[in-house]
Amino acid sequence: MSGAALRIEGVTVRFGGVVANESVSLEIPEHSIFAVIGPNGAGKTTLFNAVTGVHAPTAGEVYFFGERARLPVNAAVVARALLVGLLSGVGFFLSMNAQELWTATFDVPYVYGEPFDWMLGLEGFVGAAREVPFTMGALPAMIGLIIGSMTMLVLWSGSRGGSDVVARTGVARTFQNIRLFTEMSLVENVLVGMDYRLRTGFWSALLRLPQFGTERLAARRASIKLLRFVGLESRKAEAAGSLSYGHRRRLEIARALASDPRILLLDEPAAGMNPQEISELMELIRSLRDRGITVVLIEHHMKLVMGISDRIAVLQYGRKIAEGTPEEVRCNPRCVEAYLGADEGVA
Amino acid sequence: MVAVVRRNPTAVMLLLALAWPAVELVLPLRFHIAGSLRTVFIFAILALGLNVVSGFTGLLNLGIAAFMAIGAYAFGILTCDTYPFQIGFWPALLLTLIIGAMAGFLLGAPTIRLRGDYLAIVTLGFGEIVQDVLKNLQAITKGMQGINPLPSPTCCASGGGWTWRELQGGDHLSWYWLTLAILSVCVLAVRRLERSHIGRAWISVREDELASRAMGIRVDRVKLLAFATGASLAALSGALFASSLSSTGEPSNYDFQVSILALCIIIVGGIGSVAGVLIGSLVMIGFNSIVLVKVAEWMQEVGWSSTSNVLASPNNWKYLIFGVALVLMVRFRPQGLLPPTIEDDPAHDAPDEPGALR
Repeated sequence: MSGAALRIEGVTVRFGGVVANESVSLEIPEHSIFAVIGPNGAGKTTLFNAVTGVHAPTAGEVYFFGERARLPVNAAVVARALLVGLLSGVGFFLSMNAQELWTATFDVPYVYGEPFDWMLGLEGFVGAAREVPFTMGALPAMIGLIIGSMTMLVLWSGSRGGSDVVARTGVARTFQNIRLFTEMSLVENVLVGMDYRLRTGFWSALLRLPQFGTERLAARRASIKLLRFVGLESRKAEAAGSLSYGHRRRLEIARALASDPRILLLDEPAAGMNPQEISELMELIRSLRDRGITVVLIEHHMKLVMGISDRIAVLQYGRKIAEGTPEEVRCNPRCVEAYLGADEGVA
Repeated sequence: MVAVVRRNPTAVMLLLALAWPAVELVLPLRFHIAGSLRTVFIFAILALGLNVVSGFTGLLNLGIAAFMAIGAYAFGILTCDTYPFQIGFWPALLLTLIIGAMAGFLLGAPTIRLRGDYLAIVTLGFGEIVQDVLKNLQAITKGMQGINPLPSPTCCASGGGWTWRELQGGDHLSWYWLTLAILSVCVLAVRRLERSHIGRAWISVREDELASRAMGIRVDRVKLLAFATGASLAALSGALFASSLSSTGEPSNYDFQVSILALCIIIVGGIGSVAGVLIGSLVMIGFNSIVLVKVAEWMQEVGWSSTSNVLASPNNWKYLIFGVALVLMVRFRPQGLLPPTIEDDPAHDAPDEPGALR
């Protein structure tokens, strides 16, 4: 198992009756560049989405460095669900009997103009609470308890493998249809990628505690460095929406890198780039691998794929039909038939 | 000069507000508006709260008035002497902030997964429910009567020298300073959040929820925090509103129209812009409770007003003018009067230093 940065085991994704991925298995070694190719509609992006937790796979498992990106069920989760259930139970009980309880607790014992005796209030509350009939008291409280804790658990289990959890295990990605924060500046875009690594919270941001300033400064410097790495430093204060297509792709890569990923998934990074930009991109991807990042990419541009990939997997109709080094794939008749021959006739 | 104003319209506006009472001294009595400006400030706090939820985070909230109501009633119950608590203005204000945040959290927690229109409908419904609850829980809220009398704030007030005392209802200038000070603190707080990673996360969720989730942002938490922050500011404005009237008034003081008014403020000012909130509330509330009132007074003076002709009262023209202004606004300047700008602080750049990038 060691050495595999990303292991996909029998991943199947179905949307209703449509099977987007059928039992796809891949093993992607560490520090390598791995390409996933295939004709349009072959399920490449769906596979990426399943890997990054955008949609949960119908079947199959995804392991990053031997572990699933999924929050564990532990005592804290159960305790939180119980607490929420308890609160909603108490809430149900109080709101069903709000007026009676209020009157007995605060109105009856309170004599206008005199200090309030809290003990009397408490006695009043207990007395009134005891008189509440079962159907108005214990029953709604139990219903509240069940609804509260079940809702909490259901919501939690729905989000335990979400894409934020995957991102936090060190997996970053870009999108086929570039998804930048267009009204934010370049620096801010990169800073969002860095967000989950920041340690200061709401109160230190509000009160501007010293550690907040230190962290903010460091984050900003790091993001400017990343912008320089992708060659966009000079435009750092501009809105991301003002960038050209090729530059947007690069900014997306910089944003993904900001999370300091161990695995980087690039969805068609070369789409819409000119030959010059593509050779720059190839350099960029190689330098990423040399920094120790495992790069997985979806790409249609064969020169790029054949030029930099260590291994290639070919998908068709949602299934993997071949896998191997660029040479092996190039010589595999099924692949040529399915994709290469039809597309560019790579020799 | 123009550059300074452009770079920092928020500060400029607050400074102008600071200078206004002095300006008023040399103006004829007709132009004295400091007494009405406190309503502008109070609604600016409400709109500031809505701006956090709808402006920064992009969650359309049509029930922000509900949180204002919760703030007003919480403040009323905590301070009015017909209830046993009577904890005084400042502690009550603080507690109102917390209660507002909790109310925002309670509404947000079950609904935060809803998107766009669906969340708007839920918040709309919440606004109506809160009003109905306040009307019908008579044992607690006094129903349609509202809770009164509420004590005025104890603070450093002018009038016979600056002393620490309880404000009177007619103490216009002291109310002006008090609400302006609280508004300034709120503006500072919201600006600080906006320019930190908290605000960045809010805005990124508005811009592209899927992408920000893929960047490791816990979208649900981010949204909940925005909801709670916005609700807490709205509750604060409710408390100030009730305190300045010395009564919570009836529950319908916090109806759907108030929510829409707050929404109009941020649309007119520029969605997602703190400076826009200030200019928006000046334009909207200022028009409603200053311009119209002054015009009516003036018409009475020159004898143009008439009780028989409804068209002679400027107040009856209010919604027509509002409507036309909004249509013109959306047609010719949809981004608002002072749209948000991208800010950059190059002072922090020293990018050649090694070691920043892990």
